[in-house]
Amino acid sequence: MSVTAWLKSQRPLAGKALAHSIWLSTANGLFAIAQAWLLAVVLNGVIFAQAGLAAVRPWLWGLLGVFLVRALIVWLAERAAFQAAANVRVALRDRVYRHLQTLGPSYLAGQRSGAIAETLTKGIDDLEGYYARFVPAMTLVMILPLAILTAVIPTDWLAGLVLLVTAPMIPLFMIIIGSGAEARNQRQWKQLARMSAHFLDVIQGLTTLKLFGASRREVDVIARVSDDYRASTMQVLRIAFLSSAVLEFFASVGIALVAVFIGFRLYDLAVPVPSWISVPDIGYLQGLFVLMLAPEFYAPLRNLGTQYHAKMGAVAAAERLIEFLGTEPRQRLTGTQQLADARPLGVRFDAVHFSYEEGREALRGLTFEIPPGQRIALVGTSGAGKTTVVSLLLGFLSPTEGRILVGEQALADIDLEDWRRHLAWVPQQPRLFQGTIADNIKLGAQDADLEAVREAARRARADQFIEALAAGYDSLVGERGAGLSGGQIQRIALARAFLRDAPLVILDEATANLDPESERLVQEGIDELARDRTLLVVAHRLATVRGADRILVLDRGRIVEQGAHQELASTRGLYARMIAAYGGSEDESTSAIDTGERR
Amino acid sequence: MTELRRLWILFRPYRGWMLLGTLAAILTLIANVTLMAAAGWFLTAMAAAGIAGVAMNYFTPAALIRGSAMIRTAGRYGERLVNHEATFRLIASLRVWFYRHLEPLAPARLQQYHSGDLLSRIRADIDALDNLYVRVLVPVVVANISILLFTVFLLFYHPLLAISGLSFLIVAGVGLPIWSQLRGQAPGQRIAEDEGTLRTAVVDGVQGMAELTLYGATERQAQRIDGLSRRLVADQSRLSSDHGLTQAAVGLCASLSLWVLLWLAIPMVHDGTILPPQLAMLALFTLASFEAVAPLPQAFQLLGRTLAAARRLFAIVDTQPAVPAPSGASPMPRGFDVEIANVSFSYPEANKPALSEISLRVPEGGRAAVIGATGSGKSTLFNLLLRFWAPSAGTIRVGGKDILDFHGDDLRRHIAVVSQHTYLFDATIRENLLIANPEASQGSLEAACRVAQIHDFISELPDGYDTWVGETGVRLSGGQGRRIAVARALLKDAPILLLDEPTEGLDAATERDLMQALGKLMAGRTVLLITHRPAGLDWVDQVLVLDQGRELARGDASVVPKATAATLLAVGPKIAAKTSQ
Repeated sequence: MSVTAWLKSQRPLAGKALAHSIWLSTANGLFAIAQAWLLAVVLNGVIFAQAGLAAVRPWLWGLLGVFLVRALIVWLAERAAFQAAANVRVALRDRVYRHLQTLGPSYLAGQRSGAIAETLTKGIDDLEGYYARFVPAMTLVMILPLAILTAVIPTDWLAGLVLLVTAPMIPLFMIIIGSGAEARNQRQWKQLARMSAHFLDVIQGLTTLKLFGASRREVDVIARVSDDYRASTMQVLRIAFLSSAVLEFFASVGIALVAVFIGFRLYDLAVPVPSWISVPDIGYLQGLFVLMLAPEFYAPLRNLGTQYHAKMGAVAAAERLIEFLGTEPRQRLTGTQQLADARPLGVRFDAVHFSYEEGREALRGLTFEIPPGQRIALVGTSGAGKTTVVSLLLGFLSPTEGRILVGEQALADIDLEDWRRHLAWVPQQPRLFQGTIADNIKLGAQDADLEAVREAARRARADQFIEALAAGYDSLVGERGAGLSGGQIQRIALARAFLRDAPLVILDEATANLDPESERLVQEGIDELARDRTLLVVAHRLATVRGADRILVLDRGRIVEQGAHQELASTRGLYARMIAAYGGSEDESTSAIDTGERR
Repeated sequence: MTELRRLWILFRPYRGWMLLGTLAAILTLIANVTLMAAAGWFLTAMAAAGIAGVAMNYFTPAALIRGSAMIRTAGRYGERLVNHEATFRLIASLRVWFYRHLEPLAPARLQQYHSGDLLSRIRADIDALDNLYVRVLVPVVVANISILLFTVFLLFYHPLLAISGLSFLIVAGVGLPIWSQLRGQAPGQRIAEDEGTLRTAVVDGVQGMAELTLYGATERQAQRIDGLSRRLVADQSRLSSDHGLTQAAVGLCASLSLWVLLWLAIPMVHDGTILPPQLAMLALFTLASFEAVAPLPQAFQLLGRTLAAARRLFAIVDTQPAVPAPSGASPMPRGFDVEIANVSFSYPEANKPALSEISLRVPEGGRAAVIGATGSGKSTLFNLLLRFWAPSAGTIRVGGKDILDFHGDDLRRHIAVVSQHTYLFDATIRENLLIANPEASQGSLEAACRVAQIHDFISELPDGYDTWVGETGVRLSGGQGRRIAVARALLKDAPILLLDEPTEGLDAATERDLMQALGKLMAGRTVLLITHRPAGLDWVDQVLVLDQGRELARGDASVVPKATAATLLAVGPKIAAKTSQ
């Protein structure tokens, strides 16, 4: 579907407000006809019937009435136009966000979140111009000139003919001049986006540029990019301005012709038309009326011309929305079975294959077991497939081949929501959402009371720092919240997992460095969480793997080794090589943590 | 209003353009008003002459009508062309002006700005300035001049008509804009807040989608976003309603001005003060004259926004660099040893020093490690070495010369950095490498990438060195990014090398490979390594242990690291220091 067709297809979202706005603007146009007639009557009376103020007073009051009504209509029409676009914006924002949810985290992982946020906020707001301005203008261009012709032709068909002939010339010449302008316009929007992107890129990388002494060089680049942009924008604008000049020209010619034809007849001069046309007689009243309507006749066309750029902005924004909405969810469909109540849970991967794109397998026949109640560590180099395993378990992806079994049930048959209720997950970089700390801990257990929240925080070793904050559990976090350290965020995420009280916990160990105290507290929290639960840890630290019941070593989408630490360390496999790479000193450092665990 | 004056100074080079553009705009407006007024007069005079059967010269008014129709068309075209050309020239120069002021501030002075916030403001604010000229400055000047001309014109007929016309023009052109601006302030602020909250909720909802999905909170987030979206629209709707009201009121002013004119002028026609055709002319003139003030309500609204944008830009432009540039030329260092002597440093508004009396001397070709936990002051030390900040006390010398005597770029020419955060520009791999040395040949690029162990990876990409990387390009893993950084450092070929946690966040195997590449890079250079982990300490010949900005231990690599590193991660540096002393 073309972008314009898509924009049109979203019109029903605007509801009645769009129709209201169009009806009100139409009414405004009709009252303009009435106003012209009243004004013509007053001027005719005063000038040619020697009427005094008293004689035209009723007409003047009528004129005042029309003025007030028109002002009211303009106001209401503006409100309706805004409402129409607002309805579309609210509905689309909700729809697009919900669609992103169905696309799921695995889709979002490959996208720039900043760009998505931009599209969902400013991008959707950019649609305003299309529904509030362009669509009404487009409709009025088809209604109002006809209404005015209906008033003019019975009064003076010659003037009507002039209008009728000049009107189609306007779009015709605009199209001739503007052909190719659309494509050029689109290119221009893209160039603008590229230029902003370049500018942002330079600012983000400013420190890097400085380190290489390249930041001054960039002055010339910015000057050149901006100047190129000016030159190419002016090329587009010159055409746009030329086509509106044509519009003005034909409108002026039309008005001037009407004025001349009327004026000549009023002065009894021969109108320069072929003799076989019998020219109708006209009075001053009708002449003035028609002359005042002539500019109104061209006004909707002029208005459409000025609203054209509103459409261009909307088209650019719509392109990105179509891209989102057109993306098919890769997420698996949910099953229907309830999870058989098994506590703690055991999971088995049975010859699981997965590829993100054709021919590039991330997992190649993965088979392993996570027995109930055990603590399993998953290790491997980056790109080995650890993240894919977690995404499969979380139900963000489904295997291209093979199956995952939960007890005796196939994961594919289980209702996803029910399955996820039995999971807790602490990602590598847990996210705190805007709200209070308590809200954040309660993320997966909305109805928990403060006592339960405190208990979860205590077990996650997060209670002390939270209670030290001025507002305690009600402290606001997120963008404008208090600055929490990485270790503190980790522990809030652990508290989340405690409160969830799920039988299977999946933990993506942080690779970022925590200070030693936080590291110890996080480790204590994890140890407590592992009690009575099945735990799968994507491990980056030797301390963690040493404490695991079993280690799965993943390499290029396959399990290459598995067993306990001592067992694997003594063979000369990948695991032993990985440990060796850490060096002896790391071994010693981890032994200290081990003692802590055994205590 | 000081912002306006400062903006005017920036705009001054474009005075010629602006004068031309404003003149064209005034000419267009006057031509349009003349067209309407003359047409009204012409028609009425023709009709009167026709009825009375007297001869009249209709060629002059007809020519006037034709002429003003043509001037109107050509004038509007010219006005748009000139004003847009001027705007884009102005904006291009503003971008360069802004960048020139921004560049010396990075990174020290830009830290206090929230990164994403700063970036979006820079873009939006520069764009907002481009409104100032075309949509604010020109309409205001045009309105002032034309209101004056229109009033003088009406004075020729009757002072009462002039007073009435002027009052309505002032109500529409000054009163209404001020009213709408005052009323718009509170909702405007609310809208800005709404937009901020909505944006945060969307970012939360997108970046945190995995957690929300897992914890069954997606529906709640969708509802929250929808609620915020509705709140934003509700606040905007108030503003938009006022906007519509102002628009309607400007139209009403024009109509009322006509209406009052009729009340005043009809008796004047009767007593012969004005001629009948002049009544028609004045009526149409009045309606057309309000075109002069129609853009003003929007101009006033934009003015507030533009000035706020200008204030934010000036706030950055007015910031002084953290380290002032020296007055003379940079000295020539004798050799490339690095000496840090009794250096202390506090960040502005911090209550405790980031570094206290730190000393370290690395001879040319020597290697030192600075080790400590997060927040111990390691990164601060690098920021001082790179002259991003100046020490509060003590001196840092390179080759015997105080680094504060160098111009920043001259000093950094001698230093290469490999850090845990490698920024890749939205460009090809080649361009990203050439930043380090724009003159490097393809051969030397490949040689550097071979040493950095990234050449094979790059060659396997379909576009090789022309592969697009950065935000919109191919994503490189942490290890690959770090290797690009090593290749850049090799290409730069600087005698001093700073390594900032070069292997942080990499898995063991990648780390080992990278250390090999680093080993080749370090050969023959003065090296400073900062790290919080003991890995790699066997490469250096002296170690400085930092804790909260203070020196805990310093000495030979063979004795100190073993003792500190063993306990550093497990129990914290305090005990480590005790055992080492």
